[in-house]
Amino acid sequence: MRKLLLTVLAASTCLAAPVLADDDKIVVGFATAETGFMQAYDKPAQDAAMIRIKEINDAGGLLGKQIEVVNADTKTDRAEGAKAGLSVIDEGADLVVVSCDYDFGSPAALAAESSGLVSFFLCAESIKAGIQGVGPHSFSASVLAAVQGATMAEWAYNKKNARTFYRLLDTWTEYNKGICDGFDWMLPQLADAKLVGEDTFLNEDASIAAQITRIKSLPQEPDAIMLCTMMPGAVSAIKQIRAAGINSMILNGSGVDGSYWLSAVPDLSNFYVPVQGSIYGDDPNPDVTAFNAKYKEATGGDPSTQYVYPGYVMIDVWAKAVERAGTTDADAVVAELEKMKDEPTLFGPRTFTSELHHQNQARYLIVETNAGKPAVVDQWTISKPIPVADLMK
Amino acid sequence: MGSLLQVVFDALSLGSLYALGALGIALIFGVMRLVNFAHGDVIAFCVFALLWPSVDAVAIIFAGNLPWFLLIPFVLAIGAGLSVLSELLVFRRFRRANPATMMIASFALGFVIRYFLLMLFSSRPKSISLLPELSQPVEILGARIPLLQLITILVTIAVLFGLTAFLRRTRFGLEMRAAAENFTMARMLGVRANRVIMGAFALSGALAAAIALILGSQTGTANIMMGANVMLMAFIATVIGGMGSLAGAVLAGFLIGTVATVMQVILPPDARAFRDAFVYAAVILVLIFRPQGILAARGTKERV
Repeated sequence: MRKLLLTVLAASTCLAAPVLADDDKIVVGFATAETGFMQAYDKPAQDAAMIRIKEINDAGGLLGKQIEVVNADTKTDRAEGAKAGLSVIDEGADLVVVSCDYDFGSPAALAAESSGLVSFFLCAESIKAGIQGVGPHSFSASVLAAVQGATMAEWAYNKKNARTFYRLLDTWTEYNKGICDGFDWMLPQLADAKLVGEDTFLNEDASIAAQITRIKSLPQEPDAIMLCTMMPGAVSAIKQIRAAGINSMILNGSGVDGSYWLSAVPDLSNFYVPVQGSIYGDDPNPDVTAFNAKYKEATGGDPSTQYVYPGYVMIDVWAKAVERAGTTDADAVVAELEKMKDEPTLFGPRTFTSELHHQNQARYLIVETNAGKPAVVDQWTISKPIPVADLMK
Repeated sequence: MGSLLQVVFDALSLGSLYALGALGIALIFGVMRLVNFAHGDVIAFCVFALLWPSVDAVAIIFAGNLPWFLLIPFVLAIGAGLSVLSELLVFRRFRRANPATMMIASFALGFVIRYFLLMLFSSRPKSISLLPELSQPVEILGARIPLLQLITILVTIAVLFGLTAFLRRTRFGLEMRAAAENFTMARMLGVRANRVIMGAFALSGALAAAIALILGSQTGTANIMMGANVMLMAFIATVIGGMGSLAGAVLAGFLIGTVATVMQVILPPDARAFRDAFVYAAVILVLIFRPQGILAARGTKERV
């Protein structure tokens, strides 16, 4: 027993020692994927986070201290994720930043939670990325997938006069289901909007011909197709829908933002995506365009999708909370974050509550792709936030 | 009528894809009892061969810019070349190994190809516009179907006829069939084993390339995992078709394509998400009643 006690004591001193040692700096630990397939999603958001950190450091730091960054590679592996989380915690992280996706980010986030540290998912869009799936110190920097589906439904109804909707769900991920859940929540609230049909497919399906045949056998082409899917299956689905001669408006989640894939569907039109900020140089906020230039300077390339932006928002809101709390102590920072209501950021207002560490209502820019050219055409905020109870269904 | 015809075309085009894949696997299994799990990765490799290596989000199209009459032979040659190379470098050393060892080797080879692509292109799926002329609808007897679907079906039928003629009418085909039936006996009678096996690999690789062309222009995407799904379905098709039976593989490929399409049509919306479970249930049923496959190959019977 005494031996066990000693071991525990020794272990906890080991863990605590580095934290005590760095009073003159604040440490942000990135337990994210530097290798493996998540790297393509984590890296851009992390680059954006680094830009905000540099801005803060250049302006004199946070609480008068410089922010230092430590990294650990999750290798796109859940077991490695937990190790990476522990590794940055050992190095004294005050904030643990974890992978973009709930499944890949949660092991590191749980490690942070059990050490009583604040964790932020880079851009996870499931409600589980936060209090519900990790604990009271966990947040996500992005907006819930359901808000994207709800935004597109309400916007198309009001601005495009869409009345008949078709729902096409790719059952591969929680993110996809999230988009359609938001759509399902919004649709009954829109007077005389009708769901004329629904179908599912799998992201890896080589062909969705049968699903397309079902759309084509409707007496009338639907006004809008709510397409709840993500890359790479999204391109395939969109391409096949258009190749079959269906010209309905296609509504999507933010996962298909970006022009990098548009060459696959030449002259795509009538295609709408909600985004937090525009990568196309036409954001209504000129500061976003300025950020894009800064990003290009730092990384050598333009942002390829809107998923760059949550990384910047994350450091921004966390640093503000630390500044207001006057400490990096997790509970104090969480309390300050939870006080944020419509806190302005470069990419729209952000709100956190003690019930939800995620956005269940957010301003979205609407990007229309017309003849293969995407451009911001409008912006929309859903008329009311999606209740947490509906998100948990 | 129009929509029934549409379903028929949907089923045939999906079935074609699986049939081509199954044929590629059955060809190699026939001559050397190897289930080549690297086949799916050969498919992915053929699509990536059209791009210039880069880890950027935007694909740099390289060979993909060739006109179609050069592009198609180029991709077929890449598929055949890679497949022959894998025989020369890897499988030849396993000639006397048991089938399980060879299967593991093929898995390993698949990983090598996949991670090679990952290294050059990153995990991010790339978009390519491959043969965009095919992405338009055509009208046939009241059904509006994508041109590509029609071409897929026609190409598959042409490949099947071509292959049948090749196997029945040429000396090489005769040797291959003899090797598939009884490899040892064929060798004793003067069939040059290495040449036959290499030929089977080349044909199988070219079939993988044909799938790559169809998948690439259908989905517009190059993804390092893109061959996996077709490979799995094609493997199942070779099993229920009767391992080693070429006709059985093709038949089973079309059967699986049809079952998957019909399930998508008749299942209620809530059950559609589990479509593949129903497809696999059908596979299990077939195997319970015909464990040797629909058309068992003569050469494999005594091995069961």
